[in-house]
Amino acid sequence: MSGEDFSFEFSVGPLHPALKEPVRLDMKIEGEMVTGVDFELSQAHRGIEWMGSRRNPVQIVGLAEKVCGICNICHSTAFCRAVESIGGIEVPPRAQYIRTITAELERIHSHMLWAGIAAHELGFDSAMHYTWRAREKVLDVIELITGNRISKAMIAIGGVKRDITKEQAPKIMEAMEFYRGCFGRLKRIMLTDPVMKTRTRDVGILTRKDALETCAVGPTARASGVAKDVRQDEPYAAYQDLDVRAVTPKDINGEIRGDVYDRIAVRLYEVAQSADIIEQCLKGMPEGKIVHEESMPKLLADLKKLSGEGIGRHEAPRGEVFHYVKMTGEESPFSWKIKAPTYSNLLSWVPMLMGAQIADIPIIAASIDPCMSCANRAVAADGGRKALDKEALHRLSVRKTLEVRRRLGL
Amino acid sequence: MKAEGILNALRKKLGKRMKDAKIEKRADRARTSNVMSRIWLTVEAGALKEAVRHLCKIYPNPHISVISGHDLGRSLELIYHFSVNYGRRFGEVSVSMRVDVPKKDPVVPTITDLIPGALISEREMQEMLGVKVDGIPDPRRLFLHPGFPRGVYPWRRDEKGPGRLVRDLNKGGKA
Amino acid sequence: MSTADLSRALWVFHMNTGSCNGCDIEIMAALTPRYDVERFGMKLVGTPRHADLLLVTGPVTRDMEAKAKRVYAQMPDPKVVMVIGNCGSTGGAFHDSYNLVGPVDRILPVDVYVPGCPPRPEAVIDGVVKAWKKLEEKGVKI
Repeated sequence: MSGEDFSFEFSVGPLHPALKEPVRLDMKIEGEMVTGVDFELSQAHRGIEWMGSRRNPVQIVGLAEKVCGICNICHSTAFCRAVESIGGIEVPPRAQYIRTITAELERIHSHMLWAGIAAHELGFDSAMHYTWRAREKVLDVIELITGNRISKAMIAIGGVKRDITKEQAPKIMEAMEFYRGCFGRLKRIMLTDPVMKTRTRDVGILTRKDALETCAVGPTARASGVAKDVRQDEPYAAYQDLDVRAVTPKDINGEIRGDVYDRIAVRLYEVAQSADIIEQCLKGMPEGKIVHEESMPKLLADLKKLSGEGIGRHEAPRGEVFHYVKMTGEESPFSWKIKAPTYSNLLSWVPMLMGAQIADIPIIAASIDPCMSCANRAVAADGGRKALDKEALHRLSVRKTLEVRRRLGL
Repeated sequence: MKAEGILNALRKKLGKRMKDAKIEKRADRARTSNVMSRIWLTVEAGALKEAVRHLCKIYPNPHISVISGHDLGRSLELIYHFSVNYGRRFGEVSVSMRVDVPKKDPVVPTITDLIPGALISEREMQEMLGVKVDGIPDPRRLFLHPGFPRGVYPWRRDEKGPGRLVRDLNKGGKA
Repeated sequence: MSTADLSRALWVFHMNTGSCNGCDIEIMAALTPRYDVERFGMKLVGTPRHADLLLVTGPVTRDMEAKAKRVYAQMPDPKVVMVIGNCGSTGGAFHDSYNLVGPVDRILPVDVYVPGCPPRPEAVIDGVVKAWKKLEEKGVKI
């Protein structure tokens, strides 16, 4: 059979699969196999970096949070670190710990969300509902601390906006106990279930060489054996007091294959790691101020005088977030560059999808945990020519799971 | 190898084609305080490829975070943000390489043959600043949709910037 | 009004015109067991041709303008449009951009606005109930 061009609108992203955040994945398919991959982020982008050149840094913290609904702590932290680096602003130790706790809570939320998506892509809808119900627990904790479920508005230049009180700490600990309890069940559902294993083992492999060359980040890279983790490589906030190491599949089951299974495993184990980090932070929380400068007018006046360049990095749930800021003694920064993790992981789609079966496309594409709104500061795809649409792909994936179950006699 | 060692090795290779080199030390304080190093340097566009090649020799597979860029009036400044020695606790060293190109002839060589992961950034530079990346394997637009007007570069601060395209959403209006 | 008054299930098509996903996550949360709008008979469909309610998030980007209009045209009458989130309602944080042509009511006629950044699932459900009521009224007129 000669190569046929199937071009279709494929929904990926950290959303309910029926909700659309499309990116166009153009694939060449021969028979059942993918022989060519191209993606088009032919999308609309909001021009956030440009908008930043018309606002002052305090307003930009709020704007940075709107880059992505899920990783809003990441972008605001990275931006604040960049500005603090320019001005030599010291963040009080207590604020560093609070930043770390909220960042890890965000990580738990993101990974639980993603686990539900992965389960759905494979046709395990009950697992999806379980993980999404479990995720509500961390959202309750986030709401307790920050006042909001999603858009946390917690980070300020020079510290954080709200303190974690003695009354809140036990509730956070209780939630961490809950997640530790979940962990066993999640492992059973996602890592030891034979059908799940068959669907994900040796599927969508990203070799170590490809991960290094495409400069992949986050769990995508770690699952291929590249131990990149900003919390380990360039420790900041409370991470420098704790011994946080990159989680790779070698720590989990002794070998590294760089497939979808490994990526699921790394994310699940990171949930457990985050629970540990949060507990350690709560136990070892320093006393003191939570922000460098409490008076907002004074802070703004100081920021207006700043001149220089700064870089802020943060380990988001999906990987490295990087912000570069240049200030020139004006109210607005002269230059602001955001790099989100999916930006670095896009190219890894190509080697992962080559040679894949059509029915595996949804889970492979979702396995890098793409966040399109981070990647291009907004997204959309043209209706365009479609031979296979998202619904059809999803049905193929579910059908394959049923076949596997039958084959295994389950 | 510490930051000083990396910088010296680059200096040895590039000589006068490298300028304004400095090591920024940054301490983030919690209960403990650890100092991390960041290297900043400027290279000529013609020496960029050699500099990156030598960096790859010192540390195979440098990680490129992003290429940031802005409009300085008569020239466009690109900063390539690399990091090396990742994978080791407190081990990472960032290397930010600055390249200035004149607006009249804004050409830089591609580095995707050395670091394939730079492709996304290079495509972004082309469409956002109007830089021409020589030898880029895929010159298509990436973040701007095909209907976006040609010749408009959103990050430029001159007549080629997005000025006339800006809308105030608060003004509203009915469908 | 109670949901017992509603004569049929509500079929919903969601369109993201460039949002940060915050609102989309809360819509999704509304579908999960804790809030569970599916027990009201609400269902997400994959094509606008089957939909009664169009859920829009995001400040409309240049690229999405034509698509949004197309999706709206494909929906059969009676139909209602609901905007979720600040940026779709008024532009929100993105009020001055070179690539946005919103807010949504500049492109489509909007029946219900649910402000918030993002609004809670309870607010989304409240908005859906209001949209449902409007739909019933429109259905009666036709």
